[in-house]
Amino acid sequence: MSDQDDLPKLLGDCVHCGFCLPTCPTYVLWGEEMDSPRGRIHLMQQHADGTSLSGPMVEHFDRCLGCMACVTSCPSGVQYDRLIEMTRAEVEREHPRSMKERAIRGLVFQLFPYRRRLRALRGPLRAYQKSGLDKLIRRSGVLERVSPSIAAMERLAPPLGKAPRLPERVAARGERRATVGMLTGCVQAEFFPGVNAATARVLAMEGCDVVIPPDQGCCGALSLHSGREDEARAFARRTVETFECVDVIVVNSAGCGSAMKEYRALLADDPAWSGRADALSAKTRDLAEFLVELGPRAERRPVPVTVAYHDACHLAHAQGVRTQPRTLLAGIPELTVREIAEPDVCCGSAGTYNLFQPEAAAELGDRKALNVAATEAELLVAANPGCSMQIATALRHHGAAIAVAHTAQVLDASLRGLGRDTLIPHTPRATT
Amino acid sequence: MDARLAALADRLRGLLGAEQVITDPVRLRTYECDGLTSHRSTPAIVVLPDTAEQVAAIVRECAAAGVPYVARGSGTGLSGGALPHADGVLVVTSRMRRILEIDIPGQRAVVEPGVINLDVTRAVRPYGYYFAPDPSSQQICSVGGNVAENSGGAHCLKYGFTAHHVLACEIVTPDGELVELTADGPGYDLLGVFVGAEGTLGITTKITVRLTRVPETVQTLLAAFDSIEAGGGAVSAIIAAGVVPAAIEMMDALSIEAAEAAVRCEYPPGAGAVLIVELDGPEPEVAAQFAEVERLCRDAGAFEIRVAADDAERALIWKGRKSAFAAVGRISPAYIVQDGVIPRTALPRVLARIDALSAESGVRVANVFHAGDGNLHPLVLFDDAVPGAEQRAEEVSGAILDLCIEHGGSITGEHGVGVDKSRYMPRMFTDADLDTMQMVRCGFDPAGLCNPGKVFPTPRLCGEVPGVRRGAHPFEGKADLF
Amino acid sequence: MRPLDALAKVCGDVRPGDPADGVLGVEPAVVAAPRNVAEAADVMRVAAENGLAVVPRGAETRLDWGAPPERCDLLVDTHRLDGLIEHAAGDLVATVQAGLPMERFGEMLAGRGQRLALDVPLPGSTVGGTIAAGVAGPLRSLYGTPRNLVIGLTIVRADGQIARSGGKVVKNVAGYDLGRLFCGSFGTLGLIVEATFRLHPVPSSTVHVARSVNGPQDAHDTVQRILHSAVAPSAVEYISPGTVAVLLEGVPDGVAARARKTAELLGEGAEITDTAPDGWGQYPDGTTLLDVTAPPPALRDLLTILGPDTAATWSGSGHGHVALPADTSPGEVAEIVTRLRNTLSGHRGGAVVRYAPQKVRDEIDLWGPVPALTLMRRVKDQFDPRHRLSPGRFTGGI
Repeated sequence: MSDQDDLPKLLGDCVHCGFCLPTCPTYVLWGEEMDSPRGRIHLMQQHADGTSLSGPMVEHFDRCLGCMACVTSCPSGVQYDRLIEMTRAEVEREHPRSMKERAIRGLVFQLFPYRRRLRALRGPLRAYQKSGLDKLIRRSGVLERVSPSIAAMERLAPPLGKAPRLPERVAARGERRATVGMLTGCVQAEFFPGVNAATARVLAMEGCDVVIPPDQGCCGALSLHSGREDEARAFARRTVETFECVDVIVVNSAGCGSAMKEYRALLADDPAWSGRADALSAKTRDLAEFLVELGPRAERRPVPVTVAYHDACHLAHAQGVRTQPRTLLAGIPELTVREIAEPDVCCGSAGTYNLFQPEAAAELGDRKALNVAATEAELLVAANPGCSMQIATALRHHGAAIAVAHTAQVLDASLRGLGRDTLIPHTPRATT
Repeated sequence: MDARLAALADRLRGLLGAEQVITDPVRLRTYECDGLTSHRSTPAIVVLPDTAEQVAAIVRECAAAGVPYVARGSGTGLSGGALPHADGVLVVTSRMRRILEIDIPGQRAVVEPGVINLDVTRAVRPYGYYFAPDPSSQQICSVGGNVAENSGGAHCLKYGFTAHHVLACEIVTPDGELVELTADGPGYDLLGVFVGAEGTLGITTKITVRLTRVPETVQTLLAAFDSIEAGGGAVSAIIAAGVVPAAIEMMDALSIEAAEAAVRCEYPPGAGAVLIVELDGPEPEVAAQFAEVERLCRDAGAFEIRVAADDAERALIWKGRKSAFAAVGRISPAYIVQDGVIPRTALPRVLARIDALSAESGVRVANVFHAGDGNLHPLVLFDDAVPGAEQRAEEVSGAILDLCIEHGGSITGEHGVGVDKSRYMPRMFTDADLDTMQMVRCGFDPAGLCNPGKVFPTPRLCGEVPGVRRGAHPFEGKADLF
Repeated sequence: MRPLDALAKVCGDVRPGDPADGVLGVEPAVVAAPRNVAEAADVMRVAAENGLAVVPRGAETRLDWGAPPERCDLLVDTHRLDGLIEHAAGDLVATVQAGLPMERFGEMLAGRGQRLALDVPLPGSTVGGTIAAGVAGPLRSLYGTPRNLVIGLTIVRADGQIARSGGKVVKNVAGYDLGRLFCGSFGTLGLIVEATFRLHPVPSSTVHVARSVNGPQDAHDTVQRILHSAVAPSAVEYISPGTVAVLLEGVPDGVAARARKTAELLGEGAEITDTAPDGWGQYPDGTTLLDVTAPPPALRDLLTILGPDTAATWSGSGHGHVALPADTSPGEVAEIVTRLRNTLSGHRGGAVVRYAPQKVRDEIDLWGPVPALTLMRRVKDQFDPRHRLSPGRFTGGI
C-alpha cells in the first residue's frame, strides 16, 4: 500500500483530544491551533478533502519542527511523523516557493549533506572566526537584512578547531565483544570532529572493533525531514550499501539515527531495496542505546562536573531513547545529572529548522537556554550536533556561556581518566 | 463575510494587532470544533487576546455590533461547549497563560485562564502543594475551561470539583466590564453559579485557585473480579465501611481489552472487571484503611489484588485506566464517549440494563467509570464505514442517558451539556426548572450573545416577565391587606 | 378577597401576624406555615397575585441578621416543612425539607453512621435557614460551606413556580447550579423548600489538640505550621483570647499518631483532648457580630487590629467572626469595621456586619464594598422583578 492510500486512515486516527498541544514547540510559543499538531492534521485533512495548498497552509506545515514530541504524547497512536513527511513531500511537489525561499533551500541542501563541500567551507570559516570579523558582522546586522537564514547559519557555526581524520578501523581494547560500524555524519564529522573521535575511542575501550567506512556519505536525514523524498532515498540506498558489511551500526547523531531507523518505511515501495533497507533499520543503534545493551566493562573514573542532559527530539521522541544516556552519565563517579524543565519541548534546532525558520527557532532556543541556565549546570550534554549548536548559541546570546559536550565525550573523559578539564574550558570567571 | 463582520474584524485588528485576529478561511477552520468532533462550525473571526483588558474590549465590540461570541481554552471539551458560532467571534484564551501569583501561606494561586491545569500543579509542587481538580485531560485543558465546565476528575470523589477549588474569578461580563466574583464576599454567590455555566455568563480572565497540600502518602491497589457485579459489590462495601477513597475506578472486560491493546497495562488475565482504589492522606490513616479495603475487595470476590509498591507501579496501574478512552480506538474504528451519572447503589441494575441494550441492538459498549461517585463513561462502539451504524450507536448512547435519568441520576457528571446534550435537558428538568436557570442568564446576558445555543434547548426571552400569571395583575407598592 | 382569606384557601395554617413575629421590628400582616411543597407553592402564588412582600422564616436563629425588610406582608414559616424525604445511605445522600432542624437531621443520619459535615453554631437552626444564610463552622476548613454540600435544591419562585436544580447524585454538571446561588441569598431570590445533601461517614475517632498562643505573631506562625503540615486537620481554629485548636478525625490508630504529631507542631503546652475546647464552633459573645473574610496570612493583622480583649474566632479556611460588646459605641464599631475592611481588603478579604443594635446599624454600612453589585441586582430583578422577596434585607438594598 502506498502512502497516499494510507492517508485517510492515518488522518482518521486523530480524535482531536489535544494531548499533543502542550508538547508542540510552536503551540508553546504562539498558542495557535494552526501551529499545533492537532491543527496541522486538521489542515492536512482540509487538503485531503480538496482544499488546495495555500500560502497559509504551507506556512503552518513549514513551521513544524518535526520534533515528534506529539507522537510521544498521543494516546491514540497517531503517526504524525509519517503524516508530516508525506505532507512535506506533497508541498515540495505541489507548492511553488518564492525565489528567495528556493535560493536558501538550494544553498542548504547543496551544502549540508555533502561532507566535501562542508570541509571546503571550514578553512574560510576558521579564518573568518579568527579574524574577529564575525563579531563586527553580527553587530552590524547586515546578514539579518540580507537573509535571516544566512544570519542564523553564521551565528550557529561552532568555533572550529582541527578536524583529525579517523582511521578506517579502530581495534577493540582488551577482549573483543562486538564489531560495529560507525556513522560519522556530515555536520558531526566536519563541525564536531572531536565527538566522532570520542565515540570511536569509547566503543574501542568497551571492547568493540569499530569499522568506519571512509566512503560513507550523508544518511539523508535532512532531506527526509524536509520532504525531499527522492533525494533522501538516494542517500539512503548509498548508506545501506556502505554498511551491509557490519552487524550493528552505531550512530552518535540523533537525527541520523532516527532517519536510518526510518529507511524501512522510506524504501518500502521499492522491491529491490525494501528488504535491505529493513535490515539496515533493524541494526541501527544510537550510541547510548548500544552501550547500555552491551553493558559497561571499562572502568569509569571520576568526572566531577554537574551536567544538564538535553533530550534531543530525534533521540527521545523519534527513537524513544531517554533512560540510556542518563544511565550512562549516572554511571560516572562524581558526576551529577540535572534535569532541564520542559524536557519534551524542542530547542528549535530541528535539523534545518533553525535555518529556514530562524525567528521561531531563536525563540525556542531562548526558552531552552533559560531552562538550561536554571539548572546551574556547568556542562550541557546532548546527543545531537544541531541541538548543541542551537543551545550554545542561545546561551551565548544571553551572556551565559556554557560548555557543551556529547555523551560520548563525557564517557571518553571518564574512561580515559581525564577528569573535567577536557570538558570545561578554563575560562577565567568574572569576579565582579 | 458580511460587511458588519468585516468591519468588526477591522476594529478587532485595531485593538489586538493584525497577527492576533484570524479571518483566513483555512486557518479559521482549524477552530471548527473542540474535543467533540461530531459538531462543527467555523467561526467568522478568531481572536487571540493576551490580556483581560483586550478580552473586555473584544466583548464590548461584539456587544456593540450585536455579534455573538464564544470563549475557548485548549479546545478539549467533550460536549461542544466551545463550539464556535458561524457568524460570531471565537475568543481563544490560549495565549493568556501566565501564573500571576503563588501564595503558599494563603494556600492559593492566581492564574490566567489559558494556564494549563497541570502547569498549576507543576508550579506549586516544589512547595508541597497541588491543584486538586484532575480531569483526564489535565495535561492540556485550561483552568479557564475547568471553570466553565466545573471539571472534576478521578479524584473529585474525595476532593470535589473545580467549584470547590476556585476562590475568585475576574470575569468579563457580557457588558464588557471586568468584575471580580468571589466565593465568600458579601452578596450573592455569583461565582458559584458562574463556575459550571459553560461559558454562557461571561469570559473568565483571572482565576484564584485554592491549593491543596500534597498528601503524606498515597496507596493504590488493583483488584480483579470475575464480573462487574462483584466489583460493584466491593465498591458498595468500601463506601459502607465509611472509607472515603481518593478514587475508585472500574473498567469492564471490553475496556480492559482495549487498554491491553493500546498500552499493554498487563491487568490480570481473565478479569471481568478491574477496580482501582486509591487512598491518600496521613500515613497511619491510610495504612489502616488500606488493609480494610484489601479485605473488603477479597470478601467481594477479588481473585487477584496488586498493590503498587512505588510511583512507577502506581503509574502502571493507572496507565490502563487513563488510556482507556483513546485506547478504544484500537478495537473499534469509531466510538461515542458517553458521560452519565447514577446513584452508586444503582450500579449493578444499570449495568445489567446497559448489557441488555447492547445485546438487543448489537452495539458493543465498553464501560469505564468513576465507580465511587456513580459516574459512568460508557464507550459506545461503531464502525463509521457501515451505513446506519452511527445512528444505532447514537440511539444506544441516548438510551443510556435515559437509564441514568430513570434511576435518579444525571445526563452529565463532568463533560457538560454544551451543544451535545441540550436536547436531553428537558428529560431531566421541567420547563420551570430550565426557565428558572435561564433567569440567571438573562441577568448576566440579556442580549444572549455570550456562547448562545449551549446548555439550554430553547433560549428564554429575557424581556418577558417570568412565570405564568393568573388572576388580577399584581400591583406595585403596598398591598391592600384587610 | 382579602389576602388572608386567599391564603387560607390554599394553606391550612394561616393566621394574622403579631409583634412576636416581627422581623427586626417589622411586623408581618400574615403568617403562613405550609405543610408541604405544593402548599408552599400555592402560598407563594397567592402572595404574587396579591403583591405581598414575603419573608421566609425557619427557626428565627438568624432572622436578626442583615437589614430589616422594607416591608413584610407575609411571613412564610417553614416549621411544618420538616420531613426527611430520603436518606440513601449507600449513596451518602439525603433529601430533606427546609424546615427540618439541623440537629434532628443529624440524629437521623447518625443512626446510619453518617453526617452532614456542617457545624451548627446556633442550636435549633433549620436546614433552609442554614442554606439561606450560607453558614458553617470549623468543619468548613475541610468540607466547605453549604455551597459545597448542597447537591440539589428545590425552591419556590416569587411567582409560585416550583423549580429544581442539581439532583441527587454528587457528581452532576447538568444545568446551572442554583443551589450555590441560593446559598447565602437570605430569602431574596425565592423560598427554599427542599435540599439534597452530600453526606460523609461519621469518623470513628475524633480528638482536639490545642495550645495557648502568645499574641498575633505566635497565632499566625502556629496556624501556618499546621496548615503546611501533613497532619490533615479537619479544622484549624483560633479562639480568643488566645487558643489555636486543631480537630483531627479518622481511625483510632491514625488519629492517635496524628495527634502526637500535631502536638509537636503546636509546641510546648499543647494538650490532646477528646472534647472540644471552650468556644469551639460558637459565635463569639457580643451584641454586634461581624463576619470576616481573612485568609491565613491575614490572621496576624486581624488579631492586631482587634487587640487581646475582643472576642473572636477564626477558621483556617480564612473566615472568622468578631463580636463587640454592648458598651461599644456606634462610633467605635464604625471605626473597627473600617479598619478591618481597609486592612483585610489588602488580603482580598472583607468584613460584613451580621447583627448589631439599631443605633449601631444607623452608623454603618453593614456590607462594605460589593464588587459585582450591578450583576447581583440584575439577577435579583430576574428572580423577583417586583422586589417582594425579603425586600431590602440584603446587600445593596436588594
